[in-house]
Amino acid sequence: MHGVSRAATGWIGPRRALRLREPAVGYLFVAPAVVLLIAVLVYPALTTLRLSVTLPGGQLGVQHYGQLLSDPLFWQVVRQTAAFVVASVSAHLLLGLGAALAVAGTVPARGLFRVVALLPWVVPDVVAGIVWKWILNPLYGVLNDLLMAGRLVDQPLEWLTHPSLAPLSLILANVWRGFPFVMVILLAGLQSIPQDLYEAASLDGAGSWARFRFVTLPGLRKVLVVALALDTIWEVRRFGLVQAMTGGGPGTLTEVLSTQVFKQYFQFYRFEYASAMAVAMTVLLLAVSLPYVRMIMQEE
Amino acid sequence: MRRRAGTVLATAALLLLSVYVLFPFGWMLVTALKTEQEALRIPSTWWPHQPTLDAFVVMWTRKNYALYFFNSTVISLSTAVLSSAVGALAAYGFSRFPLRAGTFLMGFILTTQMLPGVLLVGPYFRMLSALGLYDTRTGLVIAFLTICLPFATWMMKGFIDSVPRELDEAARVDGCGWLGIFLRVVLPLSLPGLVATTLFAFLLAWGDLLWVSTLTHSESMVTVTLAIARTVQEFYVNWPELMAGALIGGLPSIVLYLALQRWFVQGLTAGAVKG
Amino acid sequence: MRRSGGRLAAVAVVAALVWTLAPAIRAGEVVTLRFSNWHLVETVWGRSLREAIRIFESRNPGIRIVPEPISYGEKEARYQAECAARRMPDVVKLHNFSLAMFFELGCAADLTPFVQKEGADFLKSWYEFPIKSLTYKGRLMAMPGDYMSMVLIYNRELFRAAGLDPNRPPRTWEEFRDYARRLTRDTDGDGRVDQWGFSMPASKNPGLPLRILPMVWSFGADFLTPDGRRSAMNTPEFREAFRFIVELATVDRVTPPGVTTFGPQDVRIQMAHRRIAMKIGSGWTYPIVNAINPQLNAAEVLEAAPVPAGRRRITAAWLSGWIMSPHTAHPEAAWRFIKFLTSKETEKKFFEDNRVISSRKDVNLLPLVKMDKFSRVIVQELQHARLEPQLKEWPEIFDAFATALQEAITGAKPWERALLDAHTRVEGILARR
Repeated sequence: MHGVSRAATGWIGPRRALRLREPAVGYLFVAPAVVLLIAVLVYPALTTLRLSVTLPGGQLGVQHYGQLLSDPLFWQVVRQTAAFVVASVSAHLLLGLGAALAVAGTVPARGLFRVVALLPWVVPDVVAGIVWKWILNPLYGVLNDLLMAGRLVDQPLEWLTHPSLAPLSLILANVWRGFPFVMVILLAGLQSIPQDLYEAASLDGAGSWARFRFVTLPGLRKVLVVALALDTIWEVRRFGLVQAMTGGGPGTLTEVLSTQVFKQYFQFYRFEYASAMAVAMTVLLLAVSLPYVRMIMQEE
Repeated sequence: MRRRAGTVLATAALLLLSVYVLFPFGWMLVTALKTEQEALRIPSTWWPHQPTLDAFVVMWTRKNYALYFFNSTVISLSTAVLSSAVGALAAYGFSRFPLRAGTFLMGFILTTQMLPGVLLVGPYFRMLSALGLYDTRTGLVIAFLTICLPFATWMMKGFIDSVPRELDEAARVDGCGWLGIFLRVVLPLSLPGLVATTLFAFLLAWGDLLWVSTLTHSESMVTVTLAIARTVQEFYVNWPELMAGALIGGLPSIVLYLALQRWFVQGLTAGAVKG
Repeated sequence: MRRSGGRLAAVAVVAALVWTLAPAIRAGEVVTLRFSNWHLVETVWGRSLREAIRIFESRNPGIRIVPEPISYGEKEARYQAECAARRMPDVVKLHNFSLAMFFELGCAADLTPFVQKEGADFLKSWYEFPIKSLTYKGRLMAMPGDYMSMVLIYNRELFRAAGLDPNRPPRTWEEFRDYARRLTRDTDGDGRVDQWGFSMPASKNPGLPLRILPMVWSFGADFLTPDGRRSAMNTPEFREAFRFIVELATVDRVTPPGVTTFGPQDVRIQMAHRRIAMKIGSGWTYPIVNAINPQLNAAEVLEAAPVPAGRRRITAAWLSGWIMSPHTAHPEAAWRFIKFLTSKETEKKFFEDNRVISSRKDVNLLPLVKMDKFSRVIVQELQHARLEPQLKEWPEIFDAFATALQEAITGAKPWERALLDAHTRVEGILARR
């Protein structure tokens, strides 16, 4: 305990930390993960890439990309995916950070809250989609019954079929299921911030906002970046929940990239076009996540 | 005084959040305790008029949930342990060594997650068949590893970066090698992160449907999630049964969380003693 | 030299012994066949199939059948991946529109040689139409399974309660709409409608075309021009049919709210719990509805009638086929199993258990089938039934239609606009060919 305190106090001092030298040793640590990923992902990636430039006659060409980029439905789906991801990730962050701070603090029964706030995460996303669809069911849905019994609405709401309500219902369910991940990862991050820093800040007369701003946030920075990066990628790939809840409907209003790729591949048998769409999706994601990569590799 | 006001506010916010979180679970329970006939009443009944445990009984009598739980547990635990171990090693390498290709490799690891799973189904299928691992738990674990490992590496990188480097130095002076520093200093201090990562990988494997339904085919490989999803289909939908499955299906993960919570909350202290 | 010659002789003797003994050994061995079928997860069908498997195994001790349940929605995706890896189950069941796709992908074994070995008259027991439909480039690629027409299923008690004659189902679409309006009621007097005239599975699901096609066709409309090259979704007939279907939900309000989220089973559940009075269904409807709610007394209460007629009297046909994997290691055993599954005896069992109508004439001539009030109508309507287009692009074309249907019903677009957009989309799909 004392050892940590002393070291941690030193950490905030001006002395710049030494970095271990031998890169070869570093590569040894990294190797198992990298080799495994190369082994299992290079072949599928090349297959996809090749399919995406294979034309009906067997020649190679980029026509599928041309079709893709000129299809208004593709761009509509890109916009919808972006809206879905931005809304989900920001709500996850807001609720996750709030919940993590709250249960790490001095509230009563925080052990209980810690378990409660985790619960939605143990429900598989497909199952979460089905359960919410059941709650919002147009005939037997309990939420409408509750709202009507409480005289909050006088007509059942069309949660899953109203063109502007359906995307919101989807986000409602996705936030429910997804915020615990951010909470848990931030809660773990909070545990790693040395208690002394808070004590030192308090001694300096810092209020709770200042402590949050100058101790908590910087201490969480790396973990926060990781949580955001992973959550963003994860929400772009989100498939089961959307497929189970709305199947992309009404019409195509809740269609996202992952459900579109699935449809094109497994229902319309357009393997090449679906591959082109997947490659486009990867490129888009790559562009979005480059800043995250830079941030995570930044030196303090 | 101000502090108390903050606590009251936080408690109120948490209570509100709990309503949002618990409401679906409450309704799952109520539905699971109803007969199918009652579950389909309009308007719905708030509480089962004739409570029944039939939906839960069916899980163990007509369906082989004991086997499904066994499959899910074995697959998810293996995935969780393997991916957090390998991921932690990699993260340590990225965090503590000046690797020229570091940024590129971290980017590569993240990129592997960007291909939609649907596109991986065909190639994985062929690869696992060639290796004779199609329709085996091992094959599934390998498939899950490819999803969980990148996430584990990234998460652990975030946590290991937060461990003060001076501790490494101190341990080195005490005569620790690279692996010693990793095992005795870095890992214990990032234990909360390791727990979060393990939990993450476990839940990811537990909740998967795509891989289980494409990389296995026999009845003896069915997992809990697949069994639950199969209660809502083209020719068969049973709401009480689905809700019972969803509730029971979450229990192992909650048990795991409770078991790991000890290290999760006390990570710093526990690690410090060892360090 | 002599020594090695002796060794060679010894090897030859052993080899010859193995060669002659091998068949004997193989005969003693048990051949295992993988059998995948979506019915295995269903209550009624699942039981029936497992019983059939037991009968087959007891008669063929050398063959063991391993059942692999799969969901209706996921089957094509998996068989396709399995086929590409040469790991398809030895015997699977598919329905007509994906059958064409599997023939084209080379994911079905040619059954012609097996059929020829059975003798010239073997196929005479089946209707010609299903046999013709499962023949691809002159080869028989699947054995026909169940073969049914879509009919109107209605609840006679709800008819009576609404003051309608239960023995006189609606014969035209106008009459149908009028009936549906009168059947949409608040039965418990709480001010909320809780019974509807009609329901349909208007989510995007593989069961929707079977329920939509009879309506569209009977209005004299079709999706494609007769040569199959252009979309015909802009014809006055098609617009009339589309508008009629949409307005059942939006203007007449005779369908339950949320119709665009329903799958076929949701609609069956509504029928089983007396929420709806009419639906479009077929042979399978009665046993499934009966299993959901035995208290309905479906055998007495439900009736089948021809789908109402418009300009034409026409309906859609359901046809399923049994496929053998092109990569199976035991083609003879697989054929024996398929032959058993499509035999008169087994088809009769499938009828008794599941009320599905056979594609065998000899089964449908049995008094058992002819006397059944549902089957009578379904068999009789087969003469007016057509299959969904056997076109690789059909799922995508119908998806464009389903999108328009949902947009129009939920008010995302006015119906004219939604239909026009779908028409444009289908023209684009066809232009790619």
